[in-house]
Amino acid sequence: MSTTALSIEARQARVTRWLLLPGIIWMALFLVVPIAMIVYVSFWTQTTFNISPKPTLASWQQFFSSSTYVDSLWTTIRIWLIVLAATFAVGYPTALFVGLFVKSKTLSTVLLVICVIPFWTSFLIRVLAWRPMLGKEGAINIVLMKLHIIQQPIEVLLFTELSVIIGMTQIYCVFMVGPIAFMLARIDRNIIEAARDLGAGFGRIFWKIIFPLSLPGVVVGAIFVSVMVLGEFATSGALSGRKVNLLGNIIVTQVGSLKWAMASVVGVILTVVMGIVIAGFLRIVDLKREL
Amino acid sequence: METAVFRLEGVTKRYGDLVALDNATMEAGSNEYISFLGPSGSGKTTLLRVIAGFEAPETGRVIFEGRDITNLPAHERGIGFVFQNFALFPHLSVIANVGFGLRYGKSPQPEAEIDRRAHEMIDLVGLKGLEDRGVDQISGGQRQRVALARTLAMQPRLVLLDEPLGALDANLRGRMRTELRAIRERLGVTFLHVTGSENEALAMGDRVVVLDRGRIIQTGRATEIYDSPNSPDVAHFLNRFNLFDGTFRAGYFEGPFGRIPAPGARRADRDVYAIRYDRMRAVAPGSAVQGPALKATWIASEYLGSAIVNFFETDGGRVVEMEQHLSLGAPQTFEPRQDCLLTWNPEQAIVFGREAA
Repeated sequence: MSTTALSIEARQARVTRWLLLPGIIWMALFLVVPIAMIVYVSFWTQTTFNISPKPTLASWQQFFSSSTYVDSLWTTIRIWLIVLAATFAVGYPTALFVGLFVKSKTLSTVLLVICVIPFWTSFLIRVLAWRPMLGKEGAINIVLMKLHIIQQPIEVLLFTELSVIIGMTQIYCVFMVGPIAFMLARIDRNIIEAARDLGAGFGRIFWKIIFPLSLPGVVVGAIFVSVMVLGEFATSGALSGRKVNLLGNIIVTQVGSLKWAMASVVGVILTVVMGIVIAGFLRIVDLKREL
Repeated sequence: METAVFRLEGVTKRYGDLVALDNATMEAGSNEYISFLGPSGSGKTTLLRVIAGFEAPETGRVIFEGRDITNLPAHERGIGFVFQNFALFPHLSVIANVGFGLRYGKSPQPEAEIDRRAHEMIDLVGLKGLEDRGVDQISGGQRQRVALARTLAMQPRLVLLDEPLGALDANLRGRMRTELRAIRERLGVTFLHVTGSENEALAMGDRVVVLDRGRIIQTGRATEIYDSPNSPDVAHFLNRFNLFDGTFRAGYFEGPFGRIPAPGARRADRDVYAIRYDRMRAVAPGSAVQGPALKATWIASEYLGSAIVNFFETDGGRVVEMEQHLSLGAPQTFEPRQDCLLTWNPEQAIVFGREAA
């Protein structure tokens, strides 16, 4: 056997290394190095006009001793949980309809595309479009007043936490619908018929068969929504009238005023929170087995 | 036959313009194994789904244990259904699959009872020791048994099996045939088994029901169907006959093999001459033969272990099969493209004619 005749395994291993290389370089340069940099910068010394690499815990102490910053952490977590619940509550029935009840594959694809249509406009327009909808003299108030259901316009609709939640739910709902509908569409209809033949009613079939089988979709959808909501700043900026400050908003203002160390502290905290959330979701199902 | 436990009366089912079931009428006794044979699209699966209650017929009635169940939902019928692809619950273990109906069905049982009956069924189908495996961790044949145990755990009086052996390999199929029959005999319930395989239908059914284009065209014991198919279509589905078109007139059949007397012809909608593969004989061209003589050239042979099948091509370009059992002595051998004369004893043929009595 000649020396050039490498075993198939050795050759495959070499191919694998070459295929992995671009991804590894990309991730190292644009993910690992920046994260390490953020962690590093969070310990730098910040003065009003300057920043120096002298290590200090000052920014960290400032974050945890200021109620503004700690509150924004809790606000972020609260809004995330509410939006997650809302997207699930709205998204699951939609996905159930699109993925399971609609028998024609074509129709269910069409319905999914319809869900995506709002994304044909820019993010900012989608967010700002809620203002004429929810405002004091907005569409909802006008209609309710014309119908004499209310006498005074409902002011809580806009520039409150509620408007932020409404806006985010609308924008991120589709990321919940997609993965769930995908998992539901993969369920063999014979399984449901078999369960029915064994005497199980709709409720039992849903909780014991359909829901467990769609759980991987729920987890993927929840990860999508969580990652996006936790890092949000635009919706809260545009719809809360600056009253709702998420961690994302803090980063934007800190960077705006060149407070790199503080922005890094918030960035690290946000990254840790996201990591915990994703790890938690991945514990629910073994995605490698399902997909 | 014992008292009829189950009856179909003029059941018709359409999908748009397609008539899937056309006025189907049949009966099944208690403690019987009935197989439905038909090509794909003959309506056999539809028939099963109507009986199970997954589809509602346009006209006709389904009677089960003296009750009209035509409009009863599937789970209230007390009829078990075993799906072609088994339709096991993929996220549940073997024992949870088997116990599903007992646990979540119409009349939930206490846990101890579920456990006892599920174990009993698992023993019955021979899966002891695999109770806690996931259903994706067992083989195809074992999955088939789980599906059967899951249905039998509900103690149905009638079990419907939709091509239950279709997804198994040939070896396993043979074993499961015997096993299915044995399980059925132990429980004494009626099985209705749908299949596209004539061997399976004949081997398993106490009675065989032959379907074609939504109609039941023959019902009878396996030997009756095999020895005397009542129409050219049944003969065709059995896949054991050479069929020749021709004309039947005044007691004679004229086909590619000459004009020969056909005394016992049966009435049919077209003139067809049927002769079983194993009734054929090949002789040298030019031999003097009495009766039918068909010129043909040998193309190929297939060795089946117990028999050998020779394929011949006639002048008209159609393929004729001849089967020789090896127990009857050394088989004839042929050269490629060798010319032969095929003949047979005309008394063994089955003749269908429009003019027949």
